[in-house]
Amino acid sequence: MILKVAAVAAAALALAGPAGACAHPKTSLSYLEGQIMCPTCHTTLDMSEAPAAQQIKAEISKRIAQCWTAKQIEDELVGNFGQGILAAPPHKGFDLLAWWLPIGAVLAGAAILAVGVWRWSRTREPDDDPGLDPQTEQQLDELLARLD
Amino acid sequence: MSRTLKLTGQTIALAAVAGLLGLLVWRLTHQTHAPKIGAPAPNFTLRRIDASGKLDLASLRGKPVVINFWASWCVPCKGEAKMLEQAWQQYRSQGVVFVGVDYHDVTSDARTFMSHHGITYPIVQDGSGMTGDAYGLTGVPETYFVDREGHLVGTHIVGTITNQAAQFRSGIQAALNQ
Repeated sequence: MILKVAAVAAAALALAGPAGACAHPKTSLSYLEGQIMCPTCHTTLDMSEAPAAQQIKAEISKRIAQCWTAKQIEDELVGNFGQGILAAPPHKGFDLLAWWLPIGAVLAGAAILAVGVWRWSRTREPDDDPGLDPQTEQQLDELLARLD
Repeated sequence: MSRTLKLTGQTIALAAVAGLLGLLVWRLTHQTHAPKIGAPAPNFTLRRIDASGKLDLASLRGKPVVINFWASWCVPCKGEAKMLEQAWQQYRSQGVVFVGVDYHDVTSDARTFMSHHGITYPIVQDGSGMTGDAYGLTGVPETYFVDREGHLVGTHIVGTITNQAAQFRSGIQAALNQ
């Protein structure tokens, strides 16, 4: 009986695949390649074939195979290389400025433009052209008729 | 009302231009330049990956130091690893300390490299590359020599020491003699 159980357990282990393999990866290399910088060439990994980039890609692939999440992999790389390894600044603390300043600048620009347009439309000179007086108009008609 | 609005707009525009100018000046004044020979070696306190804790370069004051920047992804670094270890074994009795600075590297790969090449001198990790920047590193490997007073001496070696063995030995001698 014990032998049977041991055999079943061994078979189950064999079918389970190599140690560390992940049946359902939680992220992908193609996603993380766009989120992580190559530290020596200052482009994202997907734009780089530098040796350091290749090494980090291999590390990411290894972690994906171990079922790590994108966050776990990013955290490990930040611990190793510092915040500069991330292509985008994190959404917290002082780094939030990098996200909100451009949005604020666009909103401020739109507001300034809107106020400017509104003010321009309000201060535009009224259309007070009185046109031709009837006498001049009649003279012009006669002149044009003679030219025909 | 319109005058106030115009003034506010002008003030904001001026402030924005002043801010951008300030950023430019800050960037220019904070650019790192490679330290000259005879200048103090840029200090660093980095995490050791061959042991626990950190290593502070200033704590080695009084000893000649050889600083070698390397990375496990760097092919030429593999070529000089054996010679560096041999030199460390040769000069350590004279009080020379070798420090390997692992530059922009994955820790596990760096440890595999160290184990594979039998490196026994202290190795610290410069993951962010800030220490390399402070030294004006142009790539890896590069080797610097620091005398007992903490000044850079000799000629810093760009590339492998195997191709510049005489320069490497004279760098160590310069660090010993100062």
